[in-house]
Amino acid sequence: MGTAAAAAMAEENIEAMILRIEHKSKKIENLLKQSKPVEALKTALEVSPTNTKDQRCKSANWIVVHRAMMAIRDVDGMFSSLDPEYYDILMKYLYRGLATGDRPTCDQCLRIHEKLTEKAGLGCILRSLADTVNTV
Amino acid sequence: MPAVEVHQLAQCITCHAWSPDRTMVALCPNNAEVHIYKFTMEKWERVHVLFKHDQIISGIDWSLRSNKIVTASHDRNSYVWNHEGSEWVPTLVILRLNRAALCVQWSPKENKFAVGSGAKTVCICYYEPENNWWVSKLIRKRHDSSVTSVAWHPDNIFLATTSTDGKCRVFSTFIKGVDTKDSGTSSSRDLKFGEQIVQLDLSSSWSFGVKWSPSGNTLAYAGHNSTVYFVEDVRNSPSAHNVAYRNLPLRDLLFVSERMVIGVGFDCNPMVFTKDDTGLWSFAKFLEERKTAQSNSKYGSQFSEAFGKLYGQSRHGVNDGVDSLRARGIAHENTITCIIPLQKEGDKIVRRFSSSGLDGKVVIWELDYSTDITE
Repeated sequence: MGTAAAAAMAEENIEAMILRIEHKSKKIENLLKQSKPVEALKTALEVSPTNTKDQRCKSANWIVVHRAMMAIRDVDGMFSSLDPEYYDILMKYLYRGLATGDRPTCDQCLRIHEKLTEKAGLGCILRSLADTVNTV
Repeated sequence: MPAVEVHQLAQCITCHAWSPDRTMVALCPNNAEVHIYKFTMEKWERVHVLFKHDQIISGIDWSLRSNKIVTASHDRNSYVWNHEGSEWVPTLVILRLNRAALCVQWSPKENKFAVGSGAKTVCICYYEPENNWWVSKLIRKRHDSSVTSVAWHPDNIFLATTSTDGKCRVFSTFIKGVDTKDSGTSSSRDLKFGEQIVQLDLSSSWSFGVKWSPSGNTLAYAGHNSTVYFVEDVRNSPSAHNVAYRNLPLRDLLFVSERMVIGVGFDCNPMVFTKDDTGLWSFAKFLEERKTAQSNSKYGSQFSEAFGKLYGQSRHGVNDGVDSLRARGIAHENTITCIIPLQKEGDKIVRRFSSSGLDGKVVIWELDYSTDITE
């Protein structure tokens, strides 16, 4: 495949990803209206664009994760229904949230971080720090 | 209690190795010397000090049958020490490195040794009797960063390496005149020196501590992202299995049997990984039972304080570091960097092994017979 064709295909993949994130966003709004914030967060975290370098996709997904995260009121309750397979990706988004410096976001991220560290251990933090390839 | 002996032999130990009869231990006390201690009459006595290197010694290995010590140092050199009479006589090995040597290991037949370096190369050294010296052949290709550990396959030819570029690789180190072609095991194409057999790109962070299982069927290495990677059937159809665990990363591993691996690292307490009947590896337990001094403190005092600052609350007022460490009740007080087997030659299962760390202790562990580690 020539480089022009490969680039076109990559562009298409990114467009497909952005479309998928838009669909996710609608689904999340619905779930939040039904007062299912944990389901919303799971939907947001699923199939996160970690294996691309495209910053638009990552930002789009972050906005969606952020929306779901800020809607969580009962953090302990959230962990009782969140599967462990989501822990590593959630930790990565928590650090992205802490990096924003925005007070309400950081407060929420710290609240979740405390419980997540209890549940997943320091290894989870290590994995989000050490992985410079699959970033959010 | 698995830790049978705890010996404080220095302030900080970078690496250690045992003599063939297991009465003497050679270690580097975080300087350019090798100290050899012998346990006589209930106490440790320093019997030899080997001075030759200019900088810190990063690896020591003591061969089981030929009783030779090989050392590798940040001064880019390696020495092979022969015991002649009552002295240890060094022979310089010209590695041709322009960066530090980071790790060294004798091959199973003890006719070669491998040195991993910060120059992104691996040196395979063999003895040339005609000139009475050790020759170094370099594997220059493939590594993108420092080689942190090396491990010989039981066949004396394949060598696994881990690197800070996150990858684990297996090379052939076949040297004409030193190794003999074992007809029927592999094609001649594979046997060319420096040929890469497989590259495992499983970790996106630094890799350490690669080891082969006793049969050579399984390969394991630790990633700095708190994950251990197990790869079965490396030669033909590699299948990998990652075990991500809750704790701090590991620095070194040891295969106790085909089904049990002990990992040591920043948690100061060895971790046990086991393979179940379906072939699935998982974290089983810590080797030592940790006594929790304070009911709420899950990580120990220094972490509590840090987390307290992070979450903006004051926690567990009593934060005396030293007492809490002792109250933890585990043998090592600082990172464990090295774990080596203490089995006798021919043993398939390792019940006894030792670890050394930055706290200057050498701890000998023994798994009791109730621990099921049989194949």
